[in-house]
Amino acid sequence: MGWSVAKGDGRLVASATGRVDETTWEDFSTNLNAAVGDAAAAGLPLVLDLSGVDYMSSRGLRALTLAKREAGEATAITLAAPNDRMREILAISRYDKLFKVVDSVDADV
Amino acid sequence: MLVRFWGTRGSLPVAQTASTIQAKIARALVAAGGRAFADEAEAAAFAKGALDFATFGGYGGASSCVEIEGADGAFMVCDMGSGLREFGIDSFRRIAGGHPPVYHFFLSHLHWDHIMGFPFFGPAFNPAATIVIHSGHPDAETALRRQQEEISFPVPFDWLRATFQFVVHKPGEPFQAAGLTVTLEGQLHSHESFGFRFEKAGRSVIYSTDSEHKAEHMDAEAKFEAFFRGADLVICDTMYSLGDTVSLKQDWGHSSNVVAVDLCLAAGAKRLALFHHEPTYTDADIQRMAAETVRYEELVRDGRPPLEVICAYDGLEIAV
Repeated sequence: MGWSVAKGDGRLVASATGRVDETTWEDFSTNLNAAVGDAAAAGLPLVLDLSGVDYMSSRGLRALTLAKREAGEATAITLAAPNDRMREILAISRYDKLFKVVDSVDADV
Repeated sequence: MLVRFWGTRGSLPVAQTASTIQAKIARALVAAGGRAFADEAEAAAFAKGALDFATFGGYGGASSCVEIEGADGAFMVCDMGSGLREFGIDSFRRIAGGHPPVYHFFLSHLHWDHIMGFPFFGPAFNPAATIVIHSGHPDAETALRRQQEEISFPVPFDWLRATFQFVVHKPGEPFQAAGLTVTLEGQLHSHESFGFRFEKAGRSVIYSTDSEHKAEHMDAEAKFEAFFRGADLVICDTMYSLGDTVSLKQDWGHSSNVVAVDLCLAAGAKRLALFHHEPTYTDADIQRMAAETVRYEELVRDGRPPLEVICAYDGLEIAV
């Protein structure tokens, strides 16, 4: 699983790549929580770019929940550009009811 | 082994209402499109082929009770939900055919929906019957006696005529019960719950219900992957969506279809039976959840051996 963070256009964009499953979720969660902290410190919303994520199992999804709890009300987390597979997973898990999901990292958040 | 589901509903038994049955009949008539059938058998054959399970059948509404057939001269039953009543009646039939009146029960926990069938378990009045109750809870006998106290039920426990034995087991310490090797595992649930692994002749069945797998404790799930390892069938609590388990229904003590698939795939299990269905779900809701679970398994399988996803219903039998 790859990870990078960049600031841009009034948001912090964190980009994950690869799959997030029982073998990779801990690194993903650690990186994501750190990004939440960075976004909060900068007073910016966090956009998680999912365009490079092959798929995410329940461990990755629940890492999103942990990050959302870490972020609290102060920092909005938006999921951006999921592939078709991820869109289905977000729908089946009902995580599309828990997170704002947008088509691109440049969309309104 | 043969696994027979006598009750698959979670929390509270449910019954079909007239309007539900009327809607199924109306859908069937529309599907028939004016066809004529010579008799009910021909109509049933058409319905079976043309209608979905939620219309032609249904998932039932009895609470948790699962029989595992294949022990040596004893009935093996997981939990005593409202499905136990029908099992008890059927066991009389089999005893009349020569089956010994010996029952081994395995209690996941003592909440009402998992023991409410016991006061209606006819074989408990049979003086020739032996009933062994295996549990991880030292207060299992208290729970069964308490629900038959006068304020709740007219027949006290002491009026029962069977010979009872309560056996408390520790997690991780395998024991023998009528030729099956049985192992418990502790699970996260109010007043704790226990999963059971049944093994015989190289085959294994897991019964894991009322078990929450929390986001804060994902590192603990390796324990369940080990417990489920290589199982031929995992009967798993899939009451809620994952989204529900981390939001509104957090700490309600239940799991999701998505987590069940992940645990089974990681464990290399062969089949998953979706179980402990949410009582507010209609048959159509459960059918939709089952289809979504099959699809989720395809989406995350990622080259691993396929996991067959089965949706348990009252009356289902699965050969293991």
